Amino acid sequence: MMNDLLVMAQIAGRRCALPAHDVQSVIEIGAITPVPRSPGFIAGITAMRSQALTVIDCRRALGFDPAPWSIDHRAIVVAVNGYSYALRVDSIEDITTGIAEPGTVPGGFGPEWSRVATGMIETRVGPSLLVDLEVLIAGPDSLGEAA
Amino acid sequence: MDELLADFVAETREMLEASEGEIIAWEADPADRARLDTIFRFVHTVKGNCGFFDFPRLAGLSHAAEDALADCRSGRRDPDAALVTAVLAIIDRIVQMVDAIEAGEEFPEGGDDELIASLKVGQDDELVEHLAQPTPKAAGTAPTKADAAKKSEAAVAQRSIRLPVDLLDRVMSGVSDMVLARNDLAHRLRQAGTQPTIDGPFERLTTILADVRDAITRMRMQRIETLFGALPRLVRDLSSELGKQVMVDLEGGDVELDREMIEMVRDPITHIIRNAIDHGIETPSDRLAKGKREIGLLSIAARQSGNTISIVISDDGRGLVESRIAEKAIATGLIKESERASMSREKTLQLIFEPGFSTAESVSSVSGRGVGLDVVRDNLERVGGSIKVTSTEGVGTLFTLQIPLTLSIIAGLTVEVGDQRFAIPQSYVEEIIHSSAKALDFTRVGETALVTFRGARVPCLMLNDVLGLPAGDIALGDHTMVMLRLASGDLFALAVDQIHSHGDVVVKPLAPAIMKSGMYAGSTLLDDGQPVLLLDVTNVASQYGLVSDARNRVLKANHETETAKASDACRAMLFTDFDARRRAVRLELVQRIETAPATAIDLSGSAPRAVIDGVILPLVGLPNGQIPAEKIRILRLTDGNSDLLQAVRDVNDAVELTDKLKPVNDDPLIEAVTLVDGETVALLDGHELFARYGEVPESVKKPVCRLPDTDWARTILGPLVTSAGYDIAESEERQEDVSIWFDDEYEAALALEVEFDNPVIRLRDIPDAPDDAGTVYRYDRDGLVEALRQARAAGGRK
Repeated sequence: MMNDLLVMAQIAGRRCALPAHDVQSVIEIGAITPVPRSPGFIAGITAMRSQALTVIDCRRALGFDPAPWSIDHRAIVVAVNGYSYALRVDSIEDITTGIAEPGTVPGGFGPEWSRVATGMIETRVGPSLLVDLEVLIAGPDSLGEAA
Repeated sequence: MDELLADFVAETREMLEASEGEIIAWEADPADRARLDTIFRFVHTVKGNCGFFDFPRLAGLSHAAEDALADCRSGRRDPDAALVTAVLAIIDRIVQMVDAIEAGEEFPEGGDDELIASLKVGQDDELVEHLAQPTPKAAGTAPTKADAAKKSEAAVAQRSIRLPVDLLDRVMSGVSDMVLARNDLAHRLRQAGTQPTIDGPFERLTTILADVRDAITRMRMQRIETLFGALPRLVRDLSSELGKQVMVDLEGGDVELDREMIEMVRDPITHIIRNAIDHGIETPSDRLAKGKREIGLLSIAARQSGNTISIVISDDGRGLVESRIAEKAIATGLIKESERASMSREKTLQLIFEPGFSTAESVSSVSGRGVGLDVVRDNLERVGGSIKVTSTEGVGTLFTLQIPLTLSIIAGLTVEVGDQRFAIPQSYVEEIIHSSAKALDFTRVGETALVTFRGARVPCLMLNDVLGLPAGDIALGDHTMVMLRLASGDLFALAVDQIHSHGDVVVKPLAPAIMKSGMYAGSTLLDDGQPVLLLDVTNVASQYGLVSDARNRVLKANHETETAKASDACRAMLFTDFDARRRAVRLELVQRIETAPATAIDLSGSAPRAVIDGVILPLVGLPNGQIPAEKIRILRLTDGNSDLLQAVRDVNDAVELTDKLKPVNDDPLIEAVTLVDGETVALLDGHELFARYGEVPESVKKPVCRLPDTDWARTILGPLVTSAGYDIAESEERQEDVSIWFDDEYEAALALEVEFDNPVIRLRDIPDAPDDAGTVYRYDRDGLVEALRQARAAGGRK
């Protein structure tokens, strides 16, 4: 993890780090087609060239109400298990490198965050939460009853 | 062929192609030094290359030509017409030899020396001419078609490369991107209006892209051999494990199938083979006792027919025993004892695909591991396929699998509901009924909506309810109904706000979180690049309990036979007339229920008439010859030859007249009175009605209309044309009375000077008419009906 590139973003007012390895690109988000009868954290699908991306509202995927935070007009495109997702976050900040191995802190990060966190990672812009994309994308109900 | 040799052939050809123009130019002006150099290089290279291979004749010819040309280059000799002819003759000979090498043929002996001799200085021109003759392909003449075909055939045989699948996928998505970009551009061009300078090249681009896409689609195809390849081993292992002797016979391995689809059918086929060997084929001793060959035969054949592939797996084993299947089905509660008698043998056999069915008395290690044929059927249906079994006891069993060619490109219908668009696989669509044809009799029973389709009540789902979208401002019953037929045979209606377009869609997979909702089968992109969701019709239907389970399916089959019997009894359409009397008319007479606006009714003649679908018909049942409402409901009655319309206040129901029919004498138009649900109903006398009012339509034979050869025309335009009183020309031979063309194709046909003997209706894609008119917007229903009516009238005069 050390010296790996990380994409830094604010999600629900917290600084998070996504492994740049999994990030394909950052796109301007265009029209989003809503998907009726899908879980709330799925904002819809959008087109990136001929590909259809599933748009995930990361704040909802964590289980927060997105209302208090602004939303970036760009989205982070990641590939998980062969599917591509566009992640919507408060804001996309920077690309940086981790300067230490990810670790944990006593007491955890709070229930919502602990679920998606691989751990805490020190970066050049300060400590941030390293996010496990697969868990994030599964949404808040992934452990219990699937929506 | 040796790869090196192939390279040599290819290089020679390429060089020749590149220098062909030079050769012709040189012929015109032998003194042209630059041309001379090019040709010198050609023969020089051929000579050099021949050194690697053992082609003494080629080497000799090219060497001689090179010498002569070298003399010219160094100024020792002036090139003249004779030399040019001689050199060209040699080049032709070289080309012929190369062709022969490629095809692996022997080139006829002789003739080389004369050619070489003709290069000598001072040769008689006539001799040279003579020598040049035997080579049929003089330089500059185009190769004949047969030659070209032969060449390309050889080229296909030798050129094959291995590509990583990733790369292929990338090319595919690249082409998809291009198609989208093209569609976007098309959209913008349409908005900008016609621009001849851009439209031409754009059309060309479209054609090229269509070609490329077609080629790419074929790249995805894989021979089913890849699947068949593993089967002999599987059969061998299974049969030795089970102590049986089985010979496997594979056929049609060259049938090509989308490689994803091959993966999808792998498990079902394996499963059926396991079953066949385990349960179907007997042990060698049993077989001998029955007078069969000791070795069982399992044959698997694949065939392509149109857009589907059928795979037939048959064995010559003991076959399915109908009585055992029936007993088992009764024991497991799939059917009732009473239902069994009425089931056909074929129906009974299909029970083996029902969940919870397994005939094997002992569960062996090979089959019967809880995965039954129901899973096989489910898996096949999921990809749009189907499975059927036929069997003869003691002779063998035959499974027929039908699967679509490709997973990823399907014909789809785009519908709109609540401002959002969705795609529906065309294969499910039985018929589209536009809101203007209110023959559907939309009703709500409790929370369930029902429509009447072909005389049967069919459940109706409102798509906006299904998806939890707000209802549009379309009145109930004004929706467009898409009649969907499921693989299980169940029919239901899906109410949508409107139909958008129709065409091939490229289906992309959806993320698991979305798939979990069970509503969608995938996504696809519209022309403008906006993604739309593809509805999973089967799943939606089953969520609403519209897919009959095994029990219902069997019951329904019984019901069908019952109704077939019952139809001998009198069935009638119950209605209320404008004097509020309950009337009935025999159901056989009722062709359709129509709704006509007051404007369609003409009271000026001696008898009221109405225009329905462009046909004028007599109308009875109006109170005192008045038009009672803005829109009136009409029963269209027919006796097979003549038609008439019966105006009604309300259509009540189709009923069976079980009670006694009591003849009436005072009103000739009433055949009898009877009781329905305890109330009296007067049954119209069809004979009298038609005798008085029936009118033979102008021509008993329906005029024939030819449609453009597209899915849109067949499924969307077709029903409209039929309802306007036309037959559709199904075959090329059938002479049409009128034809419908897309305007652009019509223009193209005109340009090709195709002659049109009959009236032509031209359809345009855009609603707004250009000044020159003469065309009808493809969704302008009234305009189309009017055009068809006019064409018909014109045909009638002729």
